[in-house]
Amino acid sequence: MGLPPVVAGLFVYVLFTHYGPFGSLNLLFTVNVMVIAQVLLITPIVVALTSSFIEGSSKPVIETAEGLGFSKFKTAALCISEGRASLFSVVLTAFGRSIAEVGAVSIVGGNIQWKTRVMTTAIMLETNKGNFSFALALGIILLLIAFIVNAVASLAVKEPKHD
Amino acid sequence: MIEIQDLKKIYGERTVLSIPSLRFENGSSTVLAGANGSGKTTLIKILAGTLKATDGNLTLPQKTRYLPQQSYAFRGNLIKNITLAGADENTALHLLETMELAHLKEKKASSLSGGELQRLALCRVLAQKCDLLLLDEPTSACDAKGTEIVLNAVKAYRAENDCTLIMSTHSPLLATAGGERLIILGDGEIAADGEPKEVLTHPESDWAKSFITGWKI
Repeated sequence: MGLPPVVAGLFVYVLFTHYGPFGSLNLLFTVNVMVIAQVLLITPIVVALTSSFIEGSSKPVIETAEGLGFSKFKTAALCISEGRASLFSVVLTAFGRSIAEVGAVSIVGGNIQWKTRVMTTAIMLETNKGNFSFALALGIILLLIAFIVNAVASLAVKEPKHD
Repeated sequence: MIEIQDLKKIYGERTVLSIPSLRFENGSSTVLAGANGSGKTTLIKILAGTLKATDGNLTLPQKTRYLPQQSYAFRGNLIKNITLAGADENTALHLLETMELAHLKEKKASSLSGGELQRLALCRVLAQKCDLLLLDEPTSACDAKGTEIVLNAVKAYRAENDCTLIMSTHSPLLATAGGERLIILGDGEIAADGEPKEVLTHPESDWAKSFITGWKI
């Protein structure tokens, strides 16, 4: 979880560079390798948070389900259903982490216009060029996207009122 | 028949349960009583299969249903909580009526009080047939009326289903009227075992005597 993003990006770069073990795949400076770098960064976070959730809040669900003679599959499905709010927050944390990523995606993607330039690398570039208004506009759009995704996810997991 | 031989549960250097031999006849009803930490929940969890014994042999029936000490409310209303356990809506409604919860059937289960939730959790367990029914302190959050409702519901269930009942409790009412046999556990061992009236009036050990005195029956 504490893996520095730039180091992750550097590691993936070394793997997929021309002289690296996967150089023949020609994935460097493509969206595909950016996804690989993101997966490397996000997976430990998702695993750690999900594991923490299962250890903590799933215990009473598992105990109750076992007491009712539910199969392991049904118990797992119930844990996911009962803990959907927590699992959604894990997904949102991973989403938030990945859309905010700059270092790793810059290294492996190259920030190439119309190819591998994403909002975060574009914000960095435009700020460095002095185009603050453009960078600010991109930042606001990025914030809005994050806000909308969070809002939709919160509504999706909310239990309907019955009283 | 349920048979226990040389059952032990040890955590580190601490033996929390040690039962050399114990038998429960098919169709019998037994109440386990004892102070906090006496081993009641440990024994029930081992019988339910949710906890592994450190040592010992167990002979258990095929179908066991277990009510944990901590009640859990699934998402949805009371009817949905019971149908999740495999019952149809009519059975769910009948169980809620037995537990005097029918007037709350459309409410979210998470909005129930502690005693109401405990009775709902028991409805889920009683929605299924079984050979062995294990209830871990089924009335810990209930008042006197709630305890009586639970007692009557369990009796009605056993009248329809010939199952063995093992129930743990702190309640003097359940200890006296909950079963044909009363076992008092102390420090993980059996301190008294027999008919409730006999155990309560002539406890075998000093430990059982001091525990019963605390009830002031």
